[in-house]
Amino acid sequence: MRLLSYLGQRLLFVAPQLVGILFVSFLLVKLIPGDPAVLMLGPFATPDGLARLRTELGLDRTVVEQFLIYLGNVVQGDLGTSWQTTMPVTSDLAQRFPATLELVTLGLLVALAIGLPLGVAGARYKRGLLRTGADYYGLLAGALPDFWLGLVLIYVFYTMLGWAPAPLGRIDFAVIPPEPVTGALLIDSLIAGNWEAFRSAAGHLVLPVLTLGLINAGPILKMTQATTERMLDSDFSRYAELCGLPRKVVVAQALRNALPSVITIVSVLYGFLLGGAVLVEIVFSWGGAGQYAVQGVLNADLNPVLGFVLYSAVLSLFIYLIVDLLYFLIDPRTR
Amino acid sequence: MAMARDAGARARGGSRRLAFFMAVLRTHPSFALGYAIVLMVVLLAIFAPWVAPYPPETADPVAFLQPPGWPHLMGTDATGMDIFSRVIWAPRIDLSIAILGTLLSALIGTTLGALVGYYQSVRGLGRFGAGFVMRSADVLQAFPVFVFAIALVAVFGQSLQSIVLAIAFVNAPIYLRLMRTQVMSIRTMRYVEAAWLAGMPDWRIIARHIVPNAMAPVLAQLSVNIGWSVLLTAALSFIGAGVKAPTPEWGSMIAMGYQNIVTGHWWPSIFPGLALAVTVFGFSLVGSSIEVLSDPARRRRLAGRLETVRGIAP
Amino acid sequence: MTTKTRAEWTQLGRRAFLQSGTLLAGAAAMPQILSMPRAYAQAGSTMVIAAPATPQSLDCNFDVSLGTFEAIAALYDGLLGFERIIDPDVATARREDIAYHADKMGGVNMYGKLAESWELDPEGRWARFKLREGVMSNWGNELTAEDVKWTWDRAFALGALGAFYTKVSGLTRPENVKVEDKYTVSFNIDEPNPLLLKIHTNLYTPVYDSKKCREEGGSEDPWARKFIENNSAGFGPYSLEQMVRGQQAVFKAREDYYGGKPAIDRVIFKEVPTSAARVQLLRGGAVDIAQYLQPLEIISLKDLPNVAVETVPASFMIWIELNAAMEPFDKPDVRRALNYAFPQDQVMTAVFQGLADPLNGCMPNIYPGFAGDQVDYSYNLEKARELLAKAGHGDGFKTTLAYNAGDPVQEPIAIIYQTALREIGVELELKKVPAGSFYNAVTDRKQPMIFYVDSPWCPDPGYSLTLYFDSKSYVNYSNYKNDEVDRLLGEMAATADEKVRLDLAEKAQAIIMDEAPWTFVAYPNYTMARKKDLSGWTYYTSNNIRFQDFSRG
Repeated sequence: MRLLSYLGQRLLFVAPQLVGILFVSFLLVKLIPGDPAVLMLGPFATPDGLARLRTELGLDRTVVEQFLIYLGNVVQGDLGTSWQTTMPVTSDLAQRFPATLELVTLGLLVALAIGLPLGVAGARYKRGLLRTGADYYGLLAGALPDFWLGLVLIYVFYTMLGWAPAPLGRIDFAVIPPEPVTGALLIDSLIAGNWEAFRSAAGHLVLPVLTLGLINAGPILKMTQATTERMLDSDFSRYAELCGLPRKVVVAQALRNALPSVITIVSVLYGFLLGGAVLVEIVFSWGGAGQYAVQGVLNADLNPVLGFVLYSAVLSLFIYLIVDLLYFLIDPRTR
Repeated sequence: MAMARDAGARARGGSRRLAFFMAVLRTHPSFALGYAIVLMVVLLAIFAPWVAPYPPETADPVAFLQPPGWPHLMGTDATGMDIFSRVIWAPRIDLSIAILGTLLSALIGTTLGALVGYYQSVRGLGRFGAGFVMRSADVLQAFPVFVFAIALVAVFGQSLQSIVLAIAFVNAPIYLRLMRTQVMSIRTMRYVEAAWLAGMPDWRIIARHIVPNAMAPVLAQLSVNIGWSVLLTAALSFIGAGVKAPTPEWGSMIAMGYQNIVTGHWWPSIFPGLALAVTVFGFSLVGSSIEVLSDPARRRRLAGRLETVRGIAP
Repeated sequence: MTTKTRAEWTQLGRRAFLQSGTLLAGAAAMPQILSMPRAYAQAGSTMVIAAPATPQSLDCNFDVSLGTFEAIAALYDGLLGFERIIDPDVATARREDIAYHADKMGGVNMYGKLAESWELDPEGRWARFKLREGVMSNWGNELTAEDVKWTWDRAFALGALGAFYTKVSGLTRPENVKVEDKYTVSFNIDEPNPLLLKIHTNLYTPVYDSKKCREEGGSEDPWARKFIENNSAGFGPYSLEQMVRGQQAVFKAREDYYGGKPAIDRVIFKEVPTSAARVQLLRGGAVDIAQYLQPLEIISLKDLPNVAVETVPASFMIWIELNAAMEPFDKPDVRRALNYAFPQDQVMTAVFQGLADPLNGCMPNIYPGFAGDQVDYSYNLEKARELLAKAGHGDGFKTTLAYNAGDPVQEPIAIIYQTALREIGVELELKKVPAGSFYNAVTDRKQPMIFYVDSPWCPDPGYSLTLYFDSKSYVNYSNYKNDEVDRLLGEMAATADEKVRLDLAEKAQAIIMDEAPWTFVAYPNYTMARKKDLSGWTYYTSNNIRFQDFSRG
């Protein structure tokens, strides 16, 4: 019951928060120089045509009016069109957002698979090679530019060794992609039972996912290590040890208590990577949502930017909600 | 400086502190490595004009895409510019942007954070203002950081100042929150209440009693943040929203060379990336050393250990 | 490389035509007869092309994206085409015969596409076309003179690019285009115009299926803009099967194409934005053609067993606009100095890897009437300094050079130029413009210096020079204005006498070259990088490939 009322409270704040975010981003992108009407009509526009399009787009109104119109459209599920792709933003994002989500989700799973065990091990053995290695790895991972690491991986595993597929998107050229259901190629090809597509998609995921995983394992490792260590130093762990419980059990208990902070850092990383994975997307020609938004900013294509901000804000809020739910599940006091 | 909180240390004089510091470096070689890297990068930034064998922005099309060797230690890029010289010149730009941006964000963030933390529990206008600032920070932080930074550069126009501003904007909320938490706990301390009762004006209480005592975590954050800002600067340039070509800057160097990686010309982008990674690594090591040294509990533990080993006390 | 001269080869090419019996202008020659031996056994084959971008729009009245060019050529046909010959330099490639032929009607060597025969007023005031009968559009409607009329009415009504074509061919009002009978249409103009025939070979003067367009557009959209933007209604060899912008367009060969079904059944036109990626796809055999590669990438393909690379002279030019409306580029001496300070030779080797030729004129060197080498702007800092001092800028000045982020050769050229200009005291700030808004930055005319790559499609000196140097031309992005040049170009446009025109062209070029409205950079040439088993490639001055030329084996 506490859970439900809490969720209700949270959801109540979602709408105004979203409007706030949209409003600020609307103001921001409106300040980007470049006349969308000119860009849309191209070099052969007539002054008449420009004026007509400006009226059509509402560019002759005040910013607040424009925002209200935009908001009205958003409520009806219309995010406008991108002048670069000439497609509705919703259908562009329906294609690109799953690509980013697939990449980021898998990347963070790999990061967890590296960071969590290393972090626990580092907390458990305070001296020695393992701990030093974990310490250095944590710092180094945070220092590597992800786009550069991606390039190094491409050079080694594609150019030199020829093990990885060409860094050219999500699936092999010759392979027919599965019918989109979720938009995530791995899942869709499983649904369709298309093994060829699955293998190809998985192969293309390896390097970018590894890039994101190796780098984001850093903060996860540091957080796991720091909190687990604190838990191991705390009274309840000492007591458990004094009671003669096996070390393994004590560590597991400490980890369990450290999990909320680990989940927090993962959720923060998730929110960050939705837009932050764009560099890795560029290096691997991924065609994801981040790339779409960045192109939008660079070319004064405003609707994609706003659409992207909206999508990622909704998703971030959704993730934070899940995180809160997880807290409830992990923390026995809330039950 | 990081030990401002520990009043005892201040009294005991500089030479002992230095000795302690040196001892810490000896027992923690990774910290020494961090300081060495940062020192080297800063020195290179200052002395680049005398150290670099070639001018950093002069094309030499006769010698394009030379592999690493002699006389071009790290080879040349597609226009024949010497990569080694450019890698050496780059920290001038990268570090200035990152340090300026970080300092600016810390200035904005800590000032606002101090005010918000101080006034949050006061009824009336102050509380309302504090609430407004916090909600604004929420909204700012809900943005995808990178897209936000590019948009800011697009709005302000592509220049060094814009990148500095973008970095300041993106980082300010971190300091805001950090300072706010600190100030809120310090505000309830006896000596602050005493000052208030003595009739000291708010601004003096904040300036004299609260801020100096709340700075330690901010300082630890600064170093880490400078590293992170170097990464952001490079990333902006990589995407084409950063410094202008051919300014020697690691990110834009990586961008200029990355199309050639598949044809086997790896050196134009691998070397600058390496330099970038080492620099950021150095700053994070320094950051974690400050974290250790400014945490009284860990400091005491460290001192205790050192005392038993070498007889040196903080 | 061959030692034969271009003229000899042209002769040879013409002899080949004679043998195939297609020389008679107006004869109902199927364009496909000329194709390389076609392997019909391979019918059902697919060709995959890695291109920088899918078409922005399919309406050639508004869109000039690279993808649009390829699509228009596949979906539509015009009235006429230049005859094709073996390329004088590359024996495996073919190109158009655009030379001046005194013995041919209008001085041009053409074959009929949608037109079966044609007549031209020797004075150049009218041209009459008899259309082929029984030509069907991709919607099953028969080609009539009404379609041609509607096409030009549309150009008049919508303005934009069509307005340019009406203007250069001397058409001033819709009534200039007249339906004589069901299959005959005539163009009647007030003043003599030299382009009356040539204009109908242009890629961007295709004929629409007016019946379908009228049906789709209705009264809401009488010129079917919405429909034509995403669909096609024409008489070309392919029809559109699918178009997902940003991903791919698929073209399907038409069974009922009047020239016979093309050998390549399906063409998959894939968007692969980075050239490095396109090269990889060709190396790996995933695509048949990789378009628009970088010089280094082309070099890296040369020794591969399954890949063929052909570089032929093309109508492309790359230059830097020196904005004559802005200080200090209003002074010809400053513009000359900037040309003397441009290290053209170094750019040719370092940036273009020897694949390009230096731009030594102000129009394509493959076109009739090209003068070339009138002024020698080879690297000469002494002269550059002298000229700057003469113009009152002896201490140099500061300015910006804008370049396209999407064209990888421009940044290195800009950097090399920056270094070179420093020698004469000119401080260049480089400005990288995102590919999406670059064209906008050019047409704005607000940059003091900006790169530009273009090719005048019509192989004609008057057309080419007017495009870039007539003070009233829209494409004159350098704001160049010289009354004498304007006068010469005006005269050229008003006479059909080819000898007089060539003479005028030479004079105009001499003035333009001397006054240097551009920094002359390069003829980048055109490189086809394809799988070895694909044959039939033909180079067109519109710099696009036409899928129907290709076959396997």
